[in-house]
Amino acid sequence: MRRLWTMKNLFSLFLLAWFAYGIWEARGYGYLAKIFPFYVSFVLFVLMAVHIVMEIVRSVRRSGDGSGTAGGADLSVDWDMPMAEVYAAFLVYVGIIIGVYISIYLIGYPLALTLFIFLFYRFMASAGWLASLIAGAAGLGFMAVASHVLGMSWPEGLIVLPWPLG
Amino acid sequence: MEAFFQALAVLLTPAHLIYLIGGVVLGLGVGILPGLGGIVGMTILLPVIYGMDIHNAFALLIGMVAVIPTSDTFPSVMMGIPGSSASQATIMDGYPLARKGEAARALGAAFTASLIGGLYGAFVLTLIIPIARPLVLAFGSPELFMLALLGMSMVGVLSGNQPIKGIIGAGIGLMLGAMGDAPAIAEYRYTFGFDYLMDGVSLVIVGLGLFAFPEIIDLLIKGRPISERAELGRGWLDGLKDTLRHKWIVLRCATIGVIVGFIPGLGGSVVDWIAYGHVIQTSKDRERFGQGDIRGVIAPESANNAKEGGGLIPTFLFGIPGSGSMAVFLGGLLILGIQPGPTMLTEDLDLVYTAIWSLALANIFGAGLSLLLAKPITKLTLVPFSRLAPFMVLIITFAAYQASYSWGDLIALLLVGILGWFMKQFGWPRPAALIGFVLAGNLEQYLFISVQRYGFDWLTRPGVLVMAVIIVASLWASIAYQKKLKTAGRTATQK
Repeated sequence: MRRLWTMKNLFSLFLLAWFAYGIWEARGYGYLAKIFPFYVSFVLFVLMAVHIVMEIVRSVRRSGDGSGTAGGADLSVDWDMPMAEVYAAFLVYVGIIIGVYISIYLIGYPLALTLFIFLFYRFMASAGWLASLIAGAAGLGFMAVASHVLGMSWPEGLIVLPWPLG
Repeated sequence: MEAFFQALAVLLTPAHLIYLIGGVVLGLGVGILPGLGGIVGMTILLPVIYGMDIHNAFALLIGMVAVIPTSDTFPSVMMGIPGSSASQATIMDGYPLARKGEAARALGAAFTASLIGGLYGAFVLTLIIPIARPLVLAFGSPELFMLALLGMSMVGVLSGNQPIKGIIGAGIGLMLGAMGDAPAIAEYRYTFGFDYLMDGVSLVIVGLGLFAFPEIIDLLIKGRPISERAELGRGWLDGLKDTLRHKWIVLRCATIGVIVGFIPGLGGSVVDWIAYGHVIQTSKDRERFGQGDIRGVIAPESANNAKEGGGLIPTFLFGIPGSGSMAVFLGGLLILGIQPGPTMLTEDLDLVYTAIWSLALANIFGAGLSLLLAKPITKLTLVPFSRLAPFMVLIITFAAYQASYSWGDLIALLLVGILGWFMKQFGWPRPAALIGFVLAGNLEQYLFISVQRYGFDWLTRPGVLVMAVIIVASLWASIAYQKKLKTAGRTATQK
C-alpha cells in the first residue's frame, strides 16, 4: 500500500486536483470565457483519472508478480544516489533561492545577487576568497551593463542603496 | 522575387550582421551547457527584443536557434552527455571517437555536416514558400484551429514516453495559457485573486521555469563539471573530408531533417535517432556503428540542423510551432507584433525571406566559430557547474523580472520551476507543455471565431473533416511508430 504514496503518484494527484479546480472554477465564468477552460479541464481530468487508474493497476501487478522496481527506478532522470537525498538536495536549493528572494526584498536585487554569487562561490563551490570576490563583482558588472545598455530594471529592496547597489 | 532580394539587402546591413553574430555567439555558449539548449537561450532573449527593430530581433533569435544544433555537439562528443535533445544520437559514435583520441575528427565532421544540413534546410524553405502560398491562403479559422489541434496532439503523443502523458503534458500548457484575461471577453480566469495573474503568466516565465530552473537544480545536485577532459586530439581536416566523402548520407539525412522538422511534434528529440537509424539501415557494415564510426556522427548532425529550416515552415505559415524552441520563437514573433499565419505570406513576406537568409548565414557563422573556438569552448566545459549556477540564477531571475517588472514574476518563476522539476523527474513532457502554452491563445481564438462565424457548421467544412481524419490517422500512426522507435533505440543502446 505504501508503494502507492510515492512522490510520483502524489504529483499525479496534484495534477488531478488542479484539473478538478479548473472545472469547478470555470463553471462560474460567462459563456464565452468558459467554453475553452471548462472543456480543456474536463478532458484533462478524465485523462488524468484514466492515467492514475492505469498506474495503480500497473503498480499492483508489479508487486503481485514480484517484478516491482525499487522506489524511483521508474523516474525519467537517472540518479546515482537514493531519491531521499535527491529530494533533500532539491529542498536545499529551493530554500537557497527563497533565501535569495528574501534578501532581494530587503536589500534590493543587485546587492542580494552579488552577495549570493560571492557566498555560493565561497561556501557551496569551495572557491577561494579572491575568486569569490571576482565572481561577485562580475555579477554586479553584468547587472550594471544589462540595466544601462539594454534598459532593463530590477526589483528594489526595502533599504534603497545608491547605484550600482540599489 | 522583390521581397527575396529586399531581404538580402537587409541581411547585409552592419546592424543585422552584428545581431546575427551576437545570436550565434550566445547560441554557442548555451549549446555547450548540457540540457539547456534552444528553449532556454531564446527565452532569455525575449525580454531583450522588446521594442527592438524587427529585422535585428529576428537576426538575434535566428542566430541563436540556428547554431545550437551545432554547438550542442561539444558535450555529446566530449563527455557523452547530450547538449540538447537534438544531439543524443551523436553520442553513439561521437563519444567513442573522442575516447580513441579523435574528438577533433568527430567535431570537424559534425560541424561540416551541420553547416551543409543547415544550408540545405534554408534552401528547401526558400523553395517551399512560393509553392505553399496558394494552399496556405485557403486556410480559414476552422482549419487553423484543427491544424493547431493536430500539432498539439502530435507533440503530445510523440514527446512523451507514454502517449496519454504527452497529451496531458500539452494540456498542462493549455491550463497555464488559459490563466488571465479571456481573449473573447473582458473576464479574468484562474487569477486566485492576484492582480499579477490578470495578464496571465508570461512566456518568459513558463520557458525559464519549465526548462532552465529544473536543469540548474539537477546539475547542481549532480555536482559534476560538464566535462572530464579537454583533449581534442587531431584530425580536423580528416573530419571535413569524411563529411564530403559521405555527401549522399549528408543530403539524405538533411532531407529527413527538413521533413521531420516540418511535421509538428516530431522535432528535435527524434530527428537525430531517425537519421541515425537510417544510416545504419542503409549501410552494409553495420557492426562498426556504436564503436566510433564517423558516419554515425555525420548522419544526426546533418539532420538536426536541417530540421530548423523545416520547423520554420509550419511556424511561419500556420503559427504552429513544431518544437519547444520554435514555440519560443513564435512567442518572440508575437512580442515583435508579427502574427504568424497565412498573412505572413502577404504582408510580411520580406521578413520570411530575412529569416531564411539569416538562417543560412547563421549556419555558416556557427560552423566557422565552432571550428575556430573549439579549444577555448572545450576548456569551458571543464568548469564545475557549481561555478556557473549562480550566474545562471542571476540571468534567469533577471530575465524573468523583465516580463512585467513585478515581484509576481519572481514568485511565478519559482512556482513554475518547481512544477517543471517534478514534471522532469516523473517523465511529463515539458516541450509539449510549452507548445500547449503558446498555442492556447490561438486555439481559443480560432475556436471562438469559428463558432461565431459558422455556428456548429464549421465542423462540417471539408478542410476540417480532412484535418480530423489526419489527426486520428496521425495519432494512430505515431503511437505505432513510437513503439517501433523505442524498440530500435533499445537495440542500438544494447549494442
